[in-house]
Formats: sequence, C-alpha cells, structure tokens
Amino acid sequence: MMQEYVYVMAGNAFALGDAQGDMTADPRVPVGLFSFDTRFLSRWVLTVDGQRLHALSRDDLTYFETRFVLVPGTASHYVDADVSVIRHRSLDDSYNERITVLNHSAGPAEFTVRMEIACDFADTAEIRQPRPRRVEITPLGQEGELRLRYQRDRFCRETVVSSTAPVEVDERGMTFRIRVEPNGSWTTNLHVGMLIRGAAARDLRASLEAHRRRVSRDMREDLERWRARAPELVAEHDDLRRAYEGSLADLAALRYTPLAHDAPLPVGGLPWAMTLYGRDALITCLETLPFTPELTPATLRTLAFAQGGQLDDQHDEEPGKILVENRYGENGVFGEAATSLYFGAADTTPLFVILLDEYERWSGDVELVRELRHPTRMALDWIDEYGDMTGDGYLRYQRRNTRNGLVNQCWKNSPEAIVDRTGRQPAFPRATCELQGYAYDAKLRGARLAREFWGDPGYADRLEREAAELRQRFNRDFWLPHREYYALALTPDGEPVDALASNMGHLLWSGIVEPDRAEAVARHLVGPRLFSGWGVRTYAEEQRPYNPVGAHLGAVWPSDNAIIAAGLRRYGCDEAAARITAGIFDIVRLLGSPIPETIAGYRRDLTRYPVQLPHAGRPQAWSSGALLMLLGTALGLSPCGDNLLVDPALPQGFGRIELLDIPGRWGHADAYGRDRALAGRGSRLRPG
Amino acid sequence: MTATAADYLSRCVAGRHGDLPETTSGTLRLDVRDGASTEHWYLTIRDQRVEVTRSGEPADLVVAGARAAFDALAAGRSHIASALLRNDVTAQGNLRLLMSLRRLFPGPPAAHHPRHLPPAGRDWLDGGTSR
Repeated sequence: MMQEYVYVMAGNAFALGDAQGDMTADPRVPVGLFSFDTRFLSRWVLTVDGQRLHALSRDDLTYFETRFVLVPGTASHYVDADVSVIRHRSLDDSYNERITVLNHSAGPAEFTVRMEIACDFADTAEIRQPRPRRVEITPLGQEGELRLRYQRDRFCRETVVSSTAPVEVDERGMTFRIRVEPNGSWTTNLHVGMLIRGAAARDLRASLEAHRRRVSRDMREDLERWRARAPELVAEHDDLRRAYEGSLADLAALRYTPLAHDAPLPVGGLPWAMTLYGRDALITCLETLPFTPELTPATLRTLAFAQGGQLDDQHDEEPGKILVENRYGENGVFGEAATSLYFGAADTTPLFVILLDEYERWSGDVELVRELRHPTRMALDWIDEYGDMTGDGYLRYQRRNTRNGLVNQCWKNSPEAIVDRTGRQPAFPRATCELQGYAYDAKLRGARLAREFWGDPGYADRLEREAAELRQRFNRDFWLPHREYYALALTPDGEPVDALASNMGHLLWSGIVEPDRAEAVARHLVGPRLFSGWGVRTYAEEQRPYNPVGAHLGAVWPSDNAIIAAGLRRYGCDEAAARITAGIFDIVRLLGSPIPETIAGYRRDLTRYPVQLPHAGRPQAWSSGALLMLLGTALGLSPCGDNLLVDPALPQGFGRIELLDIPGRWGHADAYGRDRALAGRGSRLRPG
Repeated sequence: MTATAADYLSRCVAGRHGDLPETTSGTLRLDVRDGASTEHWYLTIRDQRVEVTRSGEPADLVVAGARAAFDALAAGRSHIASALLRNDVTAQGNLRLLMSLRRLFPGPPAAHHPRHLPPAGRDWLDGGTSR
C-alpha cells in the first residue's frame, strides 16, 4: 500500500509530508519543502514531550493551506489526551506553520515542544541519492532564528526559520518549554524563508518587479476569481460535477508565474514536475481553451521568450525550437544536467504554432497573433531547417547530448518507448507518426495566420503546399495496408516501425488521416488490444514489449486519451470517442480527484479498479486538463467564426449536462447536451 | 573563438539581427567588472537592430558580473540563463530583455547542426536486420 502524502503548493514551491504533517527525507519521494527545484527543508518533525503526534483530523482548506489536529502518541494505543496540537500550514513564497498547543486538563501543564529541522539543499533531480553538501548552520537564540545555508561559488541557497514565540535554538532544531493554563492555549508562528541569494546577499527575486506584484496579491481571492471565470457545470450526476470542480482546483494549484513574466502558466505537476515543461504546458492549454483560456497567452509568451537561439549540443538547442524543460536547480545551472533550458523535444515547436492558432480561433485575440509573429515564424522555419534531419520531409529527432539528453524526444520519452512489435529499436534519427501530424497541422495553421493576420499570402500558399505534400507522403509511407493502421515510426531509411500504439490517435486530432482510413484506425483504438476498458493503452497487447505497468508500453494516460477522443470526433467516430470519455471519467469517479497522470494498462474486467503506478504524478496539469478536454469534446464545442458551435455526443450514463458561461470571442455562451443524443450516430464520417 | 567580451561587443554585436523579434525593443547595459574598475556597454535594441555604445546611463535592464563571466558568454561557453541562476551575473530591471543576449552572444563553438550528425549506419539498434 502506498503511503499517504499531504501537500501544499504555490507556484513552483511545494511542501510534501506525511499525514501528521511531518517531513522526513525519503529516497523514493521528494518529501520536504521545495522551491525553485531545491529542497529547503529535508526534516521537519514535531514532538511534544519527546513523543511524535498522531492526526485525528485534517482539513485541506485550499491547495496552499492545510490544518492538522493531532494528539501525542500513536494510533495503536488509545490515549485520553489532555493535550492536543493544531498545525496550520500555508505556503506562498515562504512557508508558514502556526502551532497551537491546547491544554484540556483542569490544572496548568508544562510541555516541551520541539521541531527538528534540517536541510540538505538537494536538487529535485537527485532525491534518490542527494550528494553530500556542506551546510552552514547558524542558531540565533536571541533572534529566535535558525539559519541553514549552502554555497557553491556564487550560487547560494538559504533557509531561515524564525519563531514568533520565545524559543531555544540549536543546530538541529527549536525547542519551546511552555506552560499552558487550564483550558488554555499556546501559539507560535514558524516562518520559513527560502532565499536565493544574489549579489550583496540580496534575494534574486527581490529585484524582479513582476514577481513582487504577484506576491502581494491575496491568494484566496485569486482562487475565487479563477473559479468564477471558468464555466459552470450543471450535471444530473454529482460525480461529473465533482470531477469538473476537482480539475479546476488542480489547475489553479498548478499555476506558476515565471520570474520575467506577470501571468501564470501551468507547471507539469506534483511531485516530479513542479516547473515549466513545454509539452505539458502546451497540451494543458490546448485542453483547457473553452474553460481557462487565460493560461494560454502566458504559456506562449514564456515559451517564445525562451525560444532556442543558437545551436547547442548540450541543451539539444536549435534556433526557433521550443523548450521542453526549464529548471532552476543546481544540477542544471552548473551543467551537470541539461535541464536549465532543455530543448530535447521534436513536438513542442509545432505544438506552439498549433496552440497560437487555436487560441485565436477561440479568443479572437489578434494582438497576440501579431505580437508573436516572429517566434511563430521561427518555429515554422525550425520544422524544415532543423526538424527534417534526413531531408526526406519528415520531422525527426536524435539527441546531440549523448550524456544526459533524452533518447526519445516525443511525449513517449522513456528510453524504450519506441519499439516495433518484436521489441527492436529503430536507429536515429527517428520519425514517430504523431510528429508528422503535428507538423502538418502546424503548417496549415501557420498558413491561416500568415494569410489572415500577417499579410503574407505567398508564405501561406507555400505552407499549404508543403502540408499537402506531407499528407500525401505520410499516407503512402506510414500506412501498413495489411495491418490497417499507421506505423508507430519510420527508421532513418524509411522502414516502418510496425507496432500498434496510441500515437495514431493523435493523427486523427491533427487531421492528416485520409477519411477512408479513419474507421479502421478507430476500430483499433477502441479494439481489445489497445482499449483497456478505462482508456486507450499507449502500446497494444499481444506485442512482445507490451507491459501493463510500462509507462509508454501499456499504461493508460488521460492526456493521451483526451487528444485521441477529440480526434475521433473530428472524424465522426462519436461512439468510440464516447467510450473513451466514459472510461476516463470512471477513473476519476473511483479514485477521486486529482486524476493521476497515468494508470496501469490491465484489462478493466481483470482488476475492476484502476491500478495506480507509484511514479505517476498527481495532480498533473495535462491530466486534470484532459477531463476538461473530454467534456468539451463530448459536448462538441468548437468555434465557428464568432459563434460557438455545440454538437453533443455524450457517453451513455452522463445524463443531461449544461455548461454555462463558456468564455470566447462570442462573450459567454452556454452548451447543453444529454446522453440520448448519441443513439445511431456512431459511424457517421466527416472529412478530416 | 577566444575573443574577450570586449572584443566581441565592439566587433560582433552592432548591426542588424534578423533573429531578434521585431517587437523587442529597449536598452540593456552590461557592467563588466574587472577588479576595481567597471566597463559599461550600452546596447539599444530596436527594429531588429542593435546599437552599441560605451555609457553608464540607466537602462531598462542592467546585467552585471565579473569579466570572466562575460568572456565565457562571448566565447559561447556559458548560457546567459544559467549564468544568472549561478549568480555569476546579476540582472536588474526588465528581465524580458535578458534572453536577447542569447541571440547576441554565440552558442558553443563545437555545436552540430542536426543534419550534420554522424550517420547511424544501420536501421535498427539491436542488431536486427532489415527485412
């Protein structure tokens, strides 16, 4: 059984601890207080008279605030406690914990309350085995402060713990010797500052105006406004509404405002990806346009800001490329990992173009399209100049950082994700199929932007011509006529990698599939080898590498499924889309929010309950966003000129739903649907 | 490519830069410290052009650091974003101008174009033969 972890989070900071509120470093999970990819507390353990505490209740007030009610002792022996403790923690740019000790006895009582405190300043990338670091510890009894500091050259991180109540401070923590009156209470506020020192011992962030503005905002009000801006879901079934509200709350929690900017974008998710991941952010934005469109301009601007500018093998960077990972930790900035600004992805750059166009279709925000013309043009140029690595017209990848770059630079980025039916790995550079769909879509959308907003019809014609050629070439080279599906990838020589995998669902979403092939593709996607009953597996059963607990060789990802369902509806395969939507919503109905990043690929009738994988992130932005996209797809929401089109095809059992106040270029619009509408329309095909 | 930052700034930065977005404009001052003295380089970016002068006037963004840190940037051995996070340079003001330096300073000298990588020589990594 997995241990329960409790988190609070804010921006790229989070505190992960046990059900008692204690934090003790664990090699398997990033337990502790983190910010900017650095651990600022690795030990934070509260005792009363030498005894650990046991939680009676916990209230997760918001994503940034939790309250624990505890008594001394363990659950195994019953204690008629005369004392109880309330820990109320909150996180913004600093961490705060208010500790209240209540004396329930008739006489005054004396207690020794102690907080054990330590910090290893580990980088999030080395939780398994943090390197030994020399930490300078300074107890300041008079000030009621404990300082822990780590320095390497000019790089410096410091944790400052201070108490409002009188305290004894030593190198390993803080001790309070207190006396509490009968039925009285005692309180202290522990404040933990996480400092990133710049020159002259000034916090780096203190010099950044945009960041200060954000900090001064009240987080509760911000959360209420966030919720109020999103549409209202009225559903016959309460579990749908709960899943919807849960997704919005997860996405609120996963917002982060980068240093140079003033609006928040989605981080990847807890606990491993609390930073900007280009792919996760782009997909999350694509998933959430009808619900929380405000995430998109910040994401596009930030990715444009950090767009590749030079050839750089260490970072797999090329001019025009859109980054995949942006970390602030020590390993990245000293070049021991490539993560500070890592560009090892072939999909982020076309997805950037796709998101800008899709955002304009929903919002009508022409200004942003004009503002981002140059980076978008560079992104489009990148596809041909750097992405087409062998000159055969296909978008490919091969890492140049052979030390710690990613082997597979598509969403299935584990080292053995791209294999044929027998487990053979193709050589590099590899052309996976969904990349070709993205490139095709990016060119068509780039053409629309060039013609309508950039006043460049010649360029638009060229892009459309290239897209048409790519589509024709792709349907010739990737289609496996005997198997009736698209190959997972092509080798450098153009030989198909014949595995049956979920990637081809993305092809429907991109529109590169010939309409007369869509039904065959759909049959595979919801057929028994790919469809587990919960969703489409990443990799189909009955092939040698299949593994139900392999992240990209059998597991089921809600984000993958949301894109596939949208693709199915694009081609009129409404019944198949509805099956996927129903399965993914069943996962969150059974597990509750947040929906995990991935679940195992076991057949649903074998396990009856979704099997979670220990390393799956939760909450994860593109997973929570997937539920919104599935809902939008089921309702058939799409912009058409200045109107919102609604074309519902709800799964059986969804009953009647109303989505009210959908924001867009139309102002606000409502959508209604009921599950009976689907009857008899499963196989109607629309041209892609 | 062993040019110092001073060489590089005086010879290679001024002029047109097609890879700068036309929407980027502003002033950027580089304060290059060498012992007790500081050299100021003042960059004005507008319409994809960069003008370089020597001035200590206030700027939208001021990037300061030791000469060695700037020499590493000018030689392509260091990335401006990493240099900032290592605290080798500090930045004050409008950080949105910071990444312009990634376009104005060179990348690592030995970097490869993706099309010019050594050929793989075979189609499958596991020694399997093509059908």
